[in-house]
Amino acid sequence: MPKQLIRLVVNGEGHEVAVEPWWSLLHVVREVIGLTGSKEGCGTGDCGACSMIVNGRLVTSCIFLALEADGAQVTTIEGIGGDKGLHPIQQAFVEEGAVQCGYCIPGMIVAAYDLLRQNPRPTLEEIRYALAGNLCRCTGYTKIYQAVLRAAEMMGG
Amino acid sequence: MAEVGDVRKAFRHVGKPVPRVDAPAKVTGRTIYGDDLKLPRMLHVKLVHAPVAHARIKGIDASKALAVPGVEAVITAQDLPPHRYDPDNRTRVLLARDEVLFYGQPVAAVLARDPYTSAYARDLVEVQYEELPPVLDPLEALRPDAPLARGSVQALEEGEVGGHITVEGAEARKEEGPRNVASTITFKRGDVEQGFKEAAAVVEGTWRTPMAHQSYIEPHVIVADYDSTGRLSIWSSTQAPFHVRNEVAKTLGLPETRVRVISTEVGGGFGGKIYLYEALVGALAMTLQRPVKLTMSRKEDMLAATPAPNCIVQLKMGMKADGTLSALKARVIFDTGAFPGAPLLPGCLLIGGFYKCPNLEIEGLEVFTNKVSVGALRAPGAHNVAFALESALDMLARRLELDPMEVRLKNAVEKGDPLPSGQPYPAIGLKECLEAVAKSQLWQRRHEIRAHPNRGVGLAVGGWLGGLQPASATVTLNADGTVNALVGAADITGTNTAFAQIVAEVLNLPLEMVRVTTGDTDSAPYAGMSAGSKVTFTVGRAVKLAAEDAKEQILRIASQRLEAPPEELELVDGVVRVRGREDKQLTFRELGRWSTAFGGRYPPIVGRGAVAPRLQAPSFSAQAVEVEVDPNTGQVQVLSWVVAQDVGFAINPMAVEGQMQGGSTQGLGLALFEEMAYDEQGRLLNPNLLDYRLPTTADVPPIETIIVEVPSEDGPYGARIVGEPSIVPGPAAVANAVADAIGARVFQAPLTPEKILHALGKIKD
Ligand code: FES
Ligand code: FES
Repeated sequence: MPKQLIRLVVNGEGHEVAVEPWWSLLHVVREVIGLTGSKEGCGTGDCGACSMIVNGRLVTSCIFLALEADGAQVTTIEGIGGDKGLHPIQQAFVEEGAVQCGYCIPGMIVAAYDLLRQNPRPTLEEIRYALAGNLCRCTGYTKIYQAVLRAAEMMGG
Repeated sequence: MAEVGDVRKAFRHVGKPVPRVDAPAKVTGRTIYGDDLKLPRMLHVKLVHAPVAHARIKGIDASKALAVPGVEAVITAQDLPPHRYDPDNRTRVLLARDEVLFYGQPVAAVLARDPYTSAYARDLVEVQYEELPPVLDPLEALRPDAPLARGSVQALEEGEVGGHITVEGAEARKEEGPRNVASTITFKRGDVEQGFKEAAAVVEGTWRTPMAHQSYIEPHVIVADYDSTGRLSIWSSTQAPFHVRNEVAKTLGLPETRVRVISTEVGGGFGGKIYLYEALVGALAMTLQRPVKLTMSRKEDMLAATPAPNCIVQLKMGMKADGTLSALKARVIFDTGAFPGAPLLPGCLLIGGFYKCPNLEIEGLEVFTNKVSVGALRAPGAHNVAFALESALDMLARRLELDPMEVRLKNAVEKGDPLPSGQPYPAIGLKECLEAVAKSQLWQRRHEIRAHPNRGVGLAVGGWLGGLQPASATVTLNADGTVNALVGAADITGTNTAFAQIVAEVLNLPLEMVRVTTGDTDSAPYAGMSAGSKVTFTVGRAVKLAAEDAKEQILRIASQRLEAPPEELELVDGVVRVRGREDKQLTFRELGRWSTAFGGRYPPIVGRGAVAPRLQAPSFSAQAVEVEVDPNTGQVQVLSWVVAQDVGFAINPMAVEGQMQGGSTQGLGLALFEEMAYDEQGRLLNPNLLDYRLPTTADVPPIETIIVEVPSEDGPYGARIVGEPSIVPGPAAVANAVADAIGARVFQAPLTPEKILHALGKIKD
C-alpha cells in the first residue's frame, strides 16, 4: 500500500507528512516531525508517556493512528511553554521536585494541562483521578500532586 | 537522634531543598534520551526472542526476513565477530548458540533501515526448536530427580550484586548442590535449638514474593557506532558506564581505550539498567560497519531484561515473653532464572540483619530455572526477606500481646551489633526511624483507625547496607570565574544537583556559578556504577575533595597576590578577600583569566578528588501504612503512608523526600500488584503495563516523609546512602496492615483480592 498524505497542525505549525497506514501519531511526531519530547513507555496505551492533545482531547498517541490525525490540531509537550519561558505547570513541577528521571514527565504535564483546562481548581482527589492513566515509576506521585495543586494556584484557577 | 538542625544552619547550600538542575530541560521535553538519538545511516535492530523456555536450536532460516525491502541483515550467533563466549555468563551469550534457556532469550538480530521494518521482518525469521523439559518451579528444581535447567556454572566474574552491596568477611560459596543449585550460603550464630527452647512463642511460615520487573518507564535503549579508526562508541541508558565499557571491552576483545561509553539520560533504572545488551549491539555495529540502535519495546524489555527474582523464605522465629528475640532459623531460596546473579548474599545477611538475635541459622540457595535471569531491583533481595521477617515479627508480637512498635524498638540493631557474617554495624539509625514513626500522626491515630471495621495499620522496617566503589572527580575554574565539576557517575537521583551544592558550599558561590557534568568514559574521572545507593556517599566525597583542592589552589595564588597568609583570606561569591579588608580582594574572574589566557602566569585551577571508601553507611527505613480492606471483594485501598528514613544528612532534602516517596510507592506496588506470571510452559503471561500492574495515582495517597539524620562516620557532611532502603518495608507493612484490618494473614505477595479472600476463607484452592 502506498503512503498516504496527511496534514496536521502541531503546536501551531502546519505539517504535511506521507504516512504508512500502520504508523502511530507518536511515530510521526517523534521520527518525522522531529519533536522528541513525547516519549514511548509502552506503545500499548497503558503508561501515558506519549500523551498529546488532539482536537481538544487527551490521547495516548502511541495507539492513535497517524491517518486519524489528518486535519487535526495537535498539542505536544513542546507546545506548552518552553523556550519562551516555562508554563506555570512546568514551573511548579520544577519547584516542587516533581521530576526525577523525567521520562514520564512530558506526558504527565500534558495530562495536567488538560486537567487544568477543564477544571482550573481541582481537588487532590480529582487530580488523582485525572492522572491515573499516567504512570510514573520514580516519584511516587506525591510531589506531582503538590505540583499540580501549586500550578492551579499560580494560574489563578 | 543527633541534633542536626544546628549543623544545617551553618551551611549555605548543603542541607537545603534545591530543585534539580536538570528539571527545566525535562519539563519542556528538551532532555535527550537514548531513543531520541539518530546517527547517519543508522540501522534499527530487533531481536528474535525465543518463544520457548528450554529448547535446542535445530536451525534458523532467515530467507523470508531478508527478502523484506529495507532489511539489511539477519545475524545469528554464528555470524557474530569473534568474542569471548561464556555459557555461564548471560552477558557473554550475546545470542543463543545451540540451546535456549529461557522464554524470550534472543536468538537472532534483524537489522533494517527503520524500526517498523525490523519488527515486521523479525517475525519472519524461522527458527526450528527441539523442545526440552523446562524447569520452572525452584522447589521442584531442587528435587534430586528434577531435570536440569542448564549445565553447571562457574562463578560470575564480576557480579552485579557486588556493586550494590559490599561485605567484608563473607563470600557466597559456590557448591555442587543436589540439583539446579547455582550457589549456596550459610550463616550461623549461637544455638538455634536452645533459642527456640527459651522462647515463649514460636512462629513458622513460608513467605513468597514473585518475580517483579523494575518497570522503568524508559525501556532499555542502546546505540553503537564502530568507526573507521576501530573505535566503538556506545550510547546507553546505563547506570554503570565504566562497568559497561570494561565488560564490552573484555567481551569483544578490545582494549578499554577503544571503547567509549556515553551514558544517556537514564529514564529510570532501579538496578535494572546496569549492563546487558551493549556488547551485542556493539558487535552488530562492528559487523555491519554502520551505527545500530536497539530500542526495546515494553514487551521485549519484560521478556528479556533482568527482572527481580522469585523468592521463597521458610522462616521460624522464637521470642521470649519480654519481647526479645531468642532464635531465628531461615531458609532463603532465590530463583535466579537461567543464569546466576540472584541477590543471595544480601538476602541472607539482611534477614538476620535488622534485629539482634543471639541464635540464628540462615541457609541460602540460589536455584536455576528456565526463566529470564534476574538482576537488581532497588535493594535487591531485601524486600523479599523483609516480607517474611517483618510479618513473622508481627505475628510473634500478636501472639505475646506485645506492641509491634515496642517489639521492634527492643530488638532493633544498633552500632556495633553484628550482621550474620559477624561484621559489626557502623553508626545506624534504625531505632531513630522507629521512634520517628511512633510519633507520627498515623501511628498515634492507630487505635482510632482500628475502631473502623476493616481498617488497620501496619508497621515494618527495612534497610540496606550500601555498596562501596572508588570514585573521583575534578573541579576546574573557568575564565569567567564560574566553576565546572566533572564526574563519571550517571545522575539518576539528582546527584549532580547535590554535587553542585557541595561545590558551591566549599567555594561559597551562588549555585548558578557551578555546573556539574557527567562525562563519558573517555573524559570523565572514574566513578563506580550508580547502584548500591552510593553515588552521593562516594562520588560526593570525591567532589568535596576536588572542590577543596581547587580552593587551596585559589588561595595559594590569592595569598601571593594579596600578600596575606591563606588563613586570613575568605571566599565570598566569587571574590577572594582579606578578612575585614574590603579593599584587598581579587575575583574568581581575574584568577580564571590569569590561569587560562595567552601569557597567563598561573597554571589552570584543577582540583582533584579521589576516594576509595571502606566503611559503609547503611540506611534504615521504618514505615507505617493504613489500609482499608473490602471483605467482599478482597480489594485493598491504601489510605495513608508514612516513611521515616535515616539518611545521615540530607544534602538535598527535596531529592531525599522524592527518593523516599518513590521507593515507598514501589514497595506498595510489590505489596499489592506486581507479579510476572508464567504459565506451565514457562511463557510470560503479562509482558505489558496493563497486566503487569504498576501503582497509579489512584492507588497512591500522598506519602508523608520524615527525614531522620544520624550522621555517618564517613560520608560527605555525614550523609549516608539514600536510594534503596525505602522500597524494603512496603510488602510487609501492607501485609501487617491487612492482618490488622481483617485478622487474616497473607503469606504471598502481591496481596491480590483473590489472596485476601482466600485468607478470609471465602474461596478455597
Ligand atoms: S507509550 Fe503511549 S501510553 Fe505508553
Ligand atoms: S520521573 Fe521517572 S518515571 Fe516519572
